[in-house]
Amino acid sequence: MLEVSHLSVAYGKHRALDDVKISVGEREIVVILGANGSGKTSLLKAIAGIVPKSAAKISLSGRDIAAMRANDIVEAGLALVPEGRGIFGELTVRENLLLGAYAKRARAKEKENLERTLSLFPKLSQRMEQAANTMSGGEQQMVAIGRALMSAPDILLLDEPSLGLSPLVCGELFASLGKIRSAGIGVLLVEQNAKRSLQIADRGYLIETGRITGEGSAAQLRDDPAVQRAYLGVE
Amino acid sequence: MFTEPLLSGITLGGIYALIAMGLTLQYGVARIMNLSYGESLVAASFAALWLFTAVSVNPLVGLLIIVPLAALINWLIYQVLLTPLVRRAANRDALEVDSILATFGLLFVAQGIMLAIFGGNYFSYDFLSIPVKIFGATVSASRLLALGFAVIIGLTLYLGLTRTRAGTAIRAVAVDPVSALLVAIDVRATAAFAYALGGALVAAGGVLVSMFLTFNASLGVVFTMKALIVVIMGGVGNLLGCLIAGMILGLTETFVATYIDPGLTLAATYIIFILVLLLRPQGLFGVKRS
Repeated sequence: MLEVSHLSVAYGKHRALDDVKISVGEREIVVILGANGSGKTSLLKAIAGIVPKSAAKISLSGRDIAAMRANDIVEAGLALVPEGRGIFGELTVRENLLLGAYAKRARAKEKENLERTLSLFPKLSQRMEQAANTMSGGEQQMVAIGRALMSAPDILLLDEPSLGLSPLVCGELFASLGKIRSAGIGVLLVEQNAKRSLQIADRGYLIETGRITGEGSAAQLRDDPAVQRAYLGVE
Repeated sequence: MFTEPLLSGITLGGIYALIAMGLTLQYGVARIMNLSYGESLVAASFAALWLFTAVSVNPLVGLLIIVPLAALINWLIYQVLLTPLVRRAANRDALEVDSILATFGLLFVAQGIMLAIFGGNYFSYDFLSIPVKIFGATVSASRLLALGFAVIIGLTLYLGLTRTRAGTAIRAVAVDPVSALLVAIDVRATAAFAYALGGALVAAGGVLVSMFLTFNASLGVVFTMKALIVVIMGGVGNLLGCLIAGMILGLTETFVATYIDPGLTLAATYIIFILVLLLRPQGLFGVKRS
């Protein structure tokens, strides 16, 4: 369970996030909807400890992680798949996945988690010795998500995972998120593709210029005329 | 006639490759462009000389003392002198510029201390300079031994970096330090370790070089330049590139010295370097960055 409150982030004078409050439960997919520049990426990066926070209360499974360094946050059980995937392009798929299990919490179950990851993304098993940057965009996204799962997270953060993927690959990706949820992992998803993400999500938040402006169950958000106008392309 | 320079060239090339591997670790992983790199080599040469002449410790045993000590000193330099630069650097490019300036200063401090202690004279010592016949050529045993140790150390490093979890983590930091954080790698500690490891490698090179070359207190900068040339030729961060480029440099120097004129070795080195920069600026085996 991830609980975030009073989260603010500023880049110089520009306030990227202002007093944000969100939560993600076990076995739950939560989607964050917002326009470009509304602070979605900053939100994920701030939770993961990649950008400095001006104020925050963040608890992960009851532990306070707000002041932790990014590498310790992974140890605490939170994994981020950043926008643009952030895989190690010059290393092989196997090296990328095994680096995912670099966290001490994940080492004992490395083999088990590798099997789980490969059963989730069977395509990767034939590409294990290939350099990650020689693969297609969809496969690279699988490596990125697989690497995050290898750290045995309680909470998985995904930043625009469907960006640049074909509709077919995109469908596979969202299906895999459902399986990740049934494995007991909480997923916090930032997505441009509001339609698809509201189909799979349990709950969602709306974010505008760094503030949370609405929240509700996925069904409520789907039926909300304002959401339909802004994100679902309904006139 | 031909085998002698070939063997000498391979030995020199092996040492260059070893030294360059250390620089590529410091530069590729810790992002420190260390201009005082060669000073560690010369300091290690003097340490080996002192151990051998003053307390008659064999330089191969000396490796066991000098290399860990060099790692420790380099680690401390990183923690005390370079960490403040790492903390304040806005990005990797800024750190590169800052580190060049800081280590340029360090170069003069280290060189000054060594000049004060040893003066500007050339030194050498006699360790196993027994002639050995191999493939019809005569080489000194110390040279062959130095080559053997360079090969063992280089190979161990290569296997360590490619086959172990810690080694893969070091390479991951070189590829992408932000993503390395995301897989729970302590990037700052890893950079400090890589910097210390680089210092250990160049110190090993210094001990090996002292077994068959004469050296003086101001020779460090020459080795820094050569290591830099090998790293750029081989492609930054590429260990196999270091090996090949080191060999090319060692063989070229030796053949030019033997068949043309010993005074032209440095000129030959720079001609190769300029050709590489003009024709393949990313290095012989480097990948073009997009």
